[in-house]
Amino acid sequence: MNNICFHFQISQPFRLRTYRFFDINRNHNYYDDYQNQYLTRRLAERCYLPANRTILETIRKSQGKFKVSFSISGSSITLFEKYCPEVIDSFRELVATGCVEITGSTFTHSLASLHGEKAFMEQVRLQEELLQNTFGVKPVSFCNTEIIYSDDIGEWLGNAGYRVILTEGARHILGWKSPTYLYCNPYQTDVRLLLRSYQLCDDITLRFTDKSWDMYPLTGEKYLNFLNNCKRDNENPLINLYWDYETIGEHYTADTGIFEFFNNLVDRLLADENYRFISPQDVLSLEMNPSTMHAPWAISYSGEEKDTNEWLGNELQKEAFGQLFRIEELYEKSEDSEAKLAWLRLQAADHFNFMSSKWFEHRSVKRNFDVYSSPYQAFINYMNVLNDVKLQLEEGIRE
Amino acid sequence: MPMKVLMFGWEFPPHISGGLGTACYGLTKGLALNGVQVTFVMPKASGDEDTSYVRIVNGSDVEYDPRNALFPGSDMTSFIQVNSKLIPYIGLDDYYNVVNQIESGALGAAGDGRRRYLFSGKYGPNLMQEVEQYAAIAAEIARNEDFDIIHAHDWLTYKAGIAAKRASGKPLVVHIHATEFDRSGEKYNDIVYGIEKEGMTAADKVCAVSDLTRNIVIGKYGIPAEKVVTLHNAVEPNNKSVERNKFVTEKIVTFLGRVTFQKGPDYFVETAKRVLDHDPDVRFVLAGDGDMLPQIIERVAELGMSDRFHFTGFLRGEDIDTMFGMSDVYVMPSVSEPFGISPLEAMRAKVPVVISKQSGVAEVLTHAIKVDFWDIDATADAIYGLLHYPALSRLFAEKGAAEVDRLKWENVARKLINIYEKTLHHE
Repeated sequence: MNNICFHFQISQPFRLRTYRFFDINRNHNYYDDYQNQYLTRRLAERCYLPANRTILETIRKSQGKFKVSFSISGSSITLFEKYCPEVIDSFRELVATGCVEITGSTFTHSLASLHGEKAFMEQVRLQEELLQNTFGVKPVSFCNTEIIYSDDIGEWLGNAGYRVILTEGARHILGWKSPTYLYCNPYQTDVRLLLRSYQLCDDITLRFTDKSWDMYPLTGEKYLNFLNNCKRDNENPLINLYWDYETIGEHYTADTGIFEFFNNLVDRLLADENYRFISPQDVLSLEMNPSTMHAPWAISYSGEEKDTNEWLGNELQKEAFGQLFRIEELYEKSEDSEAKLAWLRLQAADHFNFMSSKWFEHRSVKRNFDVYSSPYQAFINYMNVLNDVKLQLEEGIRE
Repeated sequence: MPMKVLMFGWEFPPHISGGLGTACYGLTKGLALNGVQVTFVMPKASGDEDTSYVRIVNGSDVEYDPRNALFPGSDMTSFIQVNSKLIPYIGLDDYYNVVNQIESGALGAAGDGRRRYLFSGKYGPNLMQEVEQYAAIAAEIARNEDFDIIHAHDWLTYKAGIAAKRASGKPLVVHIHATEFDRSGEKYNDIVYGIEKEGMTAADKVCAVSDLTRNIVIGKYGIPAEKVVTLHNAVEPNNKSVERNKFVTEKIVTFLGRVTFQKGPDYFVETAKRVLDHDPDVRFVLAGDGDMLPQIIERVAELGMSDRFHFTGFLRGEDIDTMFGMSDVYVMPSVSEPFGISPLEAMRAKVPVVISKQSGVAEVLTHAIKVDFWDIDATADAIYGLLHYPALSRLFAEKGAAEVDRLKWENVARKLINIYEKTLHHE
């Protein structure tokens, strides 16, 4: 039996407005309300709402055989509540079917796991609270920001009660081993690891409309063949496929045929007796013996290297990241809730992506909706906001 | 047979009033390194031009016969002096001011004591006569000189270029370092515009120093797009490293350039005010001279920041290096800058730069902060960021200098040779 796990990530950040140094200590509205509203609505119309509708129909049609899971950052949920509450309703409807799992994630699409346990677990805790309040769920699976994972991160999550973690099938970690097996954390062997088959994901993410690809145009039939090839490695493969949800409808707009492709693929998989859809928490009941996977250094989905250089690769990023967490103590002591929220939001991977100098060399790095004309400007803007947040946090202690 | 170029310019280091002389030096050196022989004609050589790569021959010594200026040997470029009052980068009104001052004895055109060399006829009281005179000389040179192609830099030499083309039948390339629109905005001078257009029309190929300039040439002069090519400038490698040496504790933000409409010094002043309102521990330096200087000084006084805003006058050579050595940020807020070499010199000295998007140099640079010239807030913010977030300056020092090192005149010259060849083959 082939187990197949579809997971979609939603991680829209609160985008920062142009925040000048002379705003510091004077204006504390950091967000680009227009952009945030515009993009949230646009994504809802192009992707979230139509895709949710399709998933709901498929679940009903398949009588519960179709399963998917989502990770939705707290910032995204807040943006939906603010600008497009029907998206929340739509997800509630999906959760109610019992076929849709919402996994844990960070509250603000945060990179805190690259800093330390305390900051990271604060993010995890806040997200748990929000998921409880919004969907009434308590997740046992976890999908970290950009599927960043290391042995330590796995252990922290294990201590917090998580039993399944979604991460990358990084080749430099796996070596000859296949991502289609079940793995576990070396320190906490009851924490299962679901590894992404990234080449299969990239066939869609990177190549769906690539006319120079010999498999173009990609069809459900061809993709099913790719999936069947997993049998070569493993008699009972566990195929984990994670995408940004925006792949459907935004990165590939409806006219590319992306919706039809997924519909066709899912129909074929549902009709094929060799395939079974599972959601991450289902692996706990699968009879599979996990083997340990060591990840002493953080891995992620990023690039060929599967490391964290996309966010913390250059001087600017390291400096901003260092400055951000240097004031962690202020966050703990301060009572200014707006400033505290801002500090959490400044941890979002997106801000660091905008400062990436990989972009200097080529434009292959994912820079969705980037408003900055260079990493330098992104850095300056970020540091201006951070400076004000710091002042506001300090102010909040004295009060 | 090496390719031979007859080039008409008007200034050459060290006696320069802007980027043009520097560009001519780089270009001729780059051509020489690629085996092209250049005969460089200029109206007024002083004899102390940089001869480390090129041999400069004073036209006065060769007595009309430019071929005598070409000595055998490794030196590929020779120089012929044509004595005149032509001053680069000035419009007609400024020129008349200069001429008036000379005639009233206030300014000695040949006050440096060097001998004037008059070709023929007399230098008239107006610039157009000088331009015509230069053209007559050009025709004379073209008849006596052996060359394959003519290359003329900016409007004062276009008539000369055309005359040389008529006299020799050889193709003409005109090089646009700045247009009248860059110098004067929409209040452009009809006569200058006319000469520019005449030169571009008569030319077989037009080189523009940026896409920005190329678009002006196509859009405002009506030159067919296929005839106009972009040839970005480069910068001379500087082997001696600029010494970081500050005499004050405050951070220093520098503007270096002519104090004219084109360079946007007024925006620099307003930006300074924005920064100083929030951070008094900064000093602003405006290095340069020009027609807007009085009004700039007045504005600085009016804003009450004279204790933080300094004027150095026109700087050259060593003084420029000293200035860069003191600077923490270099700003070029040009309203219209066909190229703009000075940010490259700053970057080479490891000074971070903020440049206007309305500059040609912005097309070739990654490691610079680019802002709209009118966006005082954005410029102030960039300056503040560079002064307060040291990681930025560190990254600039590392990447900026490396980026500039990759811009070489040799490569530009190779592209130019390609343009010459295409022109010669009527491609």
